Amino acid sequence: MMEARTIERFKRRTVWFHWIHTIAFLALLVTGAILFFPSCGGPAAGGATRIIHRVAVVIFVGGALAYIPLNPKMALQFVKDCFSFNKGDLGWMMAAPDYYFGGPEDKMPPQGHVNTGQKMWQLVILGTGVIFVATGAIMWFAKGSVSESVFQWSLVIHGLAFVLVLIMLFVHIYLGAIHPRMTESFKSILTGKISPTYAKHHYGKWYDSLQK
Amino acid sequence: MELTRRDFVKGSAGAAAGIALLKPLELGKKGNGAQQFDNLSEVAMLIDVSKCIGCWMCYLACKRANGLPEVEQLPDPDNPPELAPATWTTLFTKKESGEWHFRKHACMHCTDAACVKVCPTGALHYNELGFVQFDRDNCSGCGYCTQVCPFEVPQLQENKVSGDCQMDKCTFCIDRLKKGMQTACAEACPTGSIKFGKRSELLEEGQQRVAELQKTNPKACFYGGSELGGLHVMYVLEDSPEAEGLPTDPKVPAAAAVHDVIQWVGAGAAVAAVAGFGLNYLVARTRIAREGKE
Repeated sequence: MMEARTIERFKRRTVWFHWIHTIAFLALLVTGAILFFPSCGGPAAGGATRIIHRVAVVIFVGGALAYIPLNPKMALQFVKDCFSFNKGDLGWMMAAPDYYFGGPEDKMPPQGHVNTGQKMWQLVILGTGVIFVATGAIMWFAKGSVSESVFQWSLVIHGLAFVLVLIMLFVHIYLGAIHPRMTESFKSILTGKISPTYAKHHYGKWYDSLQK
Repeated sequence: MELTRRDFVKGSAGAAAGIALLKPLELGKKGNGAQQFDNLSEVAMLIDVSKCIGCWMCYLACKRANGLPEVEQLPDPDNPPELAPATWTTLFTKKESGEWHFRKHACMHCTDAACVKVCPTGALHYNELGFVQFDRDNCSGCGYCTQVCPFEVPQLQENKVSGDCQMDKCTFCIDRLKKGMQTACAEACPTGSIKFGKRSELLEEGQQRVAELQKTNPKACFYGGSELGGLHVMYVLEDSPEAEGLPTDPKVPAAAAVHDVIQWVGAGAAVAAVAGFGLNYLVARTRIAREGKE
């Protein structure tokens, strides 16, 4: 049932940013996976994927930096959220298994603009982003000028960050677009809007703060 | 007749003599080729540094046999060429108490090769004879090999602007071997310093030679017998490996070994996640639907 009134969950520019970031991210992920899994290495022959990887990372990092002046409030909130885990998040974690396996909705404590799981995803994106850029820069610019073991461990850490972000991306896609309970989540990142009912059920604390 | 280092240094005027020596050299005409081996995967090379006179014949023959750009002048031992995509073998050189000392340096064709382990495209792989083969067409130019080889053999020619990269290295003259010939460097060596043959025999011969040298030189040692699963290029050294520009006890770097594990962890976790979501979807959908009806 569609309600006439909608609530703005994301600004238009945030939606744009999300999808530009997604494209760059997927380009990085695919060209990276090609190098990561030896059985997928074929397309890397000739080196075109290395170029795509470099172009994509410029868009990925450049996009993130460009977003800051476009929506400073949200950008700051994003970073704050990454480091604002507290007791309340424990409640989410206790309730999450049953909730995501379709248990009763009212057992889940009310959440803010983003819930604990989303904060974890944000932290992974920010954290691995920094790790990817640092280790990637070593591999791109410092091959031969850093010691061989620094290069080798950069490669390993880049790979570990890849595994982490790959799994978390799966979780993000599943919960954002597929999970039977997240009925308006995918729509919200296309239109930026959600229904008041959805907001009340999924982000109770945030919904209440909007009513003030 | 075999030349000795003293004969060569005394009798030659250096560069010109070297080029003159190579001129009549027709590769592939000398005996002791690969045709005598039933099983080419048993072959190897033994390099006796005590017999090397630094004539650069191996260096020149390698370039000629492999169609690499040839040189006008013999290299200067004070400033020997580094390995590069166009230089597959060179000499490690040093001068001690007025005497030159040389060690031929090229791909060792490790049995347990770090470069093969990290190569993401399989451009570096073991060929059917067990040598480390490089297929230029499959190379992505990532340069991981250049950072893990304990012998610093793979070298990248990299254009930082275009991102274009090229690597190339010794093939153990695989094409010549298949035609029944021996490696070009071994064939060109005028002193018998580079020997091509059956690995087990060379191993024995080299160890005997070391024992002989040790009578007057306690530092003499054998190298490559068991390092990295056994090298296909083994050495009779006159000094410790380090003093000869070789790592003592070379290893596949731990980081390169870890890489394999992470790949499996990554693949396993990805499969587990997808399976978990499938299960979650079915359970959650059923329970939510039931709740909706109530």
